[in-house]
Amino acid sequence: MNLELIPLLIIVLLMVSAGGVDVETTEFVIKGDHEITEHRGALIVGDATVTVPNDETISGPVYVIGGEFRVHGTVEGDLTQLSGSLVVEDGGTIGGELQHIGGSEELASEATVAERTTTEFAPSESDPVAAYTPVILTTLILSLVGAWLSRKRPMLLENIGTTARVHPVVSLTVGALLSVTFLAVFVFMAFTLVLLPVSILGLLIGLVSIAYGIIGLGYLAGKQLETPRVGVATGLGVVGIMVVLQVAGAVPIVGDLIAGTLLLIGLGAVVVTYFGLQEFEPVLLPE
Amino acid sequence: MKLFEFVRERRWIPVTGYLIYVAALSAGYYYNLTFVQLGLTDLGTQKIGMAPEGVSIVMAVLALLTLIIAVGSGLVMDRRGWSTDLYVKFRLLFLIILVQLLLTIAAPFVSTVDQFVLWVVVCSTTLGLGIPVTFSFMLDFIPIRDRGYVAATVAGLSFFVAALYPVEWRIDEFSLIMSAMMVPAVLILAVLSVKRFAFVDALANQHEHSTFGTGRCCRPTPIRTLSFAFWGPVLLMFGVFFIDSLGFLRIIEEPLYINTSWQSPDLSVRLFIAVLHVFGALAAGVLYTNFDRNWVFLWVFGLFAFTHLLYVFNIRFGASETPALILPMFYVLAVSFYTTLNFALWPDLSTAETIGTHTALGVGIAGWLATFMSTALALYSEGIGLPLGSHLTYVNALSLLFVVALPVLLYVHRMFELARGEASS
Repeated sequence: MNLELIPLLIIVLLMVSAGGVDVETTEFVIKGDHEITEHRGALIVGDATVTVPNDETISGPVYVIGGEFRVHGTVEGDLTQLSGSLVVEDGGTIGGELQHIGGSEELASEATVAERTTTEFAPSESDPVAAYTPVILTTLILSLVGAWLSRKRPMLLENIGTTARVHPVVSLTVGALLSVTFLAVFVFMAFTLVLLPVSILGLLIGLVSIAYGIIGLGYLAGKQLETPRVGVATGLGVVGIMVVLQVAGAVPIVGDLIAGTLLLIGLGAVVVTYFGLQEFEPVLLPE
Repeated sequence: MKLFEFVRERRWIPVTGYLIYVAALSAGYYYNLTFVQLGLTDLGTQKIGMAPEGVSIVMAVLALLTLIIAVGSGLVMDRRGWSTDLYVKFRLLFLIILVQLLLTIAAPFVSTVDQFVLWVVVCSTTLGLGIPVTFSFMLDFIPIRDRGYVAATVAGLSFFVAALYPVEWRIDEFSLIMSAMMVPAVLILAVLSVKRFAFVDALANQHEHSTFGTGRCCRPTPIRTLSFAFWGPVLLMFGVFFIDSLGFLRIIEEPLYINTSWQSPDLSVRLFIAVLHVFGALAAGVLYTNFDRNWVFLWVFGLFAFTHLLYVFNIRFGASETPALILPMFYVLAVSFYTTLNFALWPDLSTAETIGTHTALGVGIAGWLATFMSTALALYSEGIGLPLGSHLTYVNALSLLFVVALPVLLYVHRMFELARGEASS
């Protein structure tokens, strides 16, 4: 599954949960080309192409978060589009509310839509200031937190930084395994709806841990400045790491690999040091 | 890694030990994974025309005989001191591979049930003897520090090649390729068996050095065969093998899941699985080297539990679509993890004096007996018409039970130590 779909999937599951739809009737179509002739409960369209043929009716609600959803027949319930492509052909009917939030939309002149709402988001690509504001804000916050932590509790960052430097392979392995496994576990939890809050909390803790890892790496980078002002050095180090992550992201594949490796090393170092509370020591083996 | 140190110092004799170990174990494991486990099914059902139930009974005989012979030969090896004599082990390995070569050449000519049973009995003898002989090589060739990585290399290599092999398993073609691969090994071992070489003398003494020899779990006190420290891991490993076979055997029976398994006709799927086996094994190697072994056990049970949970979920809600590769992905990770653990664990639970017995008991009971029992149970569940979803729910429950049982077992054991005043700290 496309990783970019995961946040949208979580949002949709929240909406499904809030709508009181039974989880056992919710279907998530992840890939392939499908014609749906009957369906009860919520339908989530992922990376797939899903078609409601002529003279067929499905109940809905339908959520489009990727792929393509083509309506030749009738969708009785609401249809929410967050991403992907929606095509309602001539004769196609949306019986409920069509809520357009994102993605491309193509409504034929003879299509019938009972009610329609559109939530517009300002395009971020056209304005570089708006595009970089979140990154700059994140960098600023992480730098300030890093500067504060390095002055108040330097041992936390020292343990994380040292582990990332001395045991990068261990940190990378643990970081990679945890991220792959827990990401899947949290998405899976979200499907149960009951555990949706745990899933969101888990993902948030994951993001905080990654951010903490960046601060740990920033502390490590700041030490290279060899200045007694540890707070300033850590702040600058964090800025440096964030710049490296941004620049690396611009280089296809290799850049992503470098950025991913850095983030996973940071995450792994955070976890194996118990968030910096203890220096990581591998088991003792004879030399 | 010690290997890099040896290369830097141009100490080529210990490096040769690595090469011999990886070559012998990878080839042996590949042979077992493919020819024995999959080739024999084809031989029994396609060539001889036996019913699958009949073949499974013969396979059960093979598993049980292998276990008995492994334990017997392991005990003899330790008592006679053969476990520490590299030349004796080379001679035994030469005999094993020579007989296996003859068996491999003979396989396509087996045409009756009696011949098939005889073939299996001889094969199980070589496999049983091969377990203590080959697993004990780690003591001679691989320093303790590198065992996790070397075990990972063996597991990764074997699975990589096995997963990429074309999906059609025909015993004739298989026999030809395997025989061609075995001939050089037989020739090399024949030479090593009859003539003494200085470099082999050096390798033969390596187990006496502190960096080799006594396993990491046997320091400072060797683990006794009749102790919790030995039978605890045997039980856990038994659970791992049992869970794997019990789940996997039913999954690969389902046409829906074949497309995302080793038997997938799609090369890109098999390549994905093969590469992931290597990554999984390397990750397990890193964890095994740097953390307590119980962490690796926890990862294995956790991964299996989650994998079966995904399969059960897919069966219930995934309708009739080909499942996403995330399902086999977690399965592959779990399998690579425990295979790496299996290669490194038994030598690390042994000394030069107990390696034969411990590897035979460990691999024999945890590997062969567990696989045999779970195979029988999987066939039984299929026979009584237990739906796949229910079957995997039981497997999942079993893996979750082990996830919980492991920390509880360790905690209770610690309590007993404290109560007896044996605690070191």
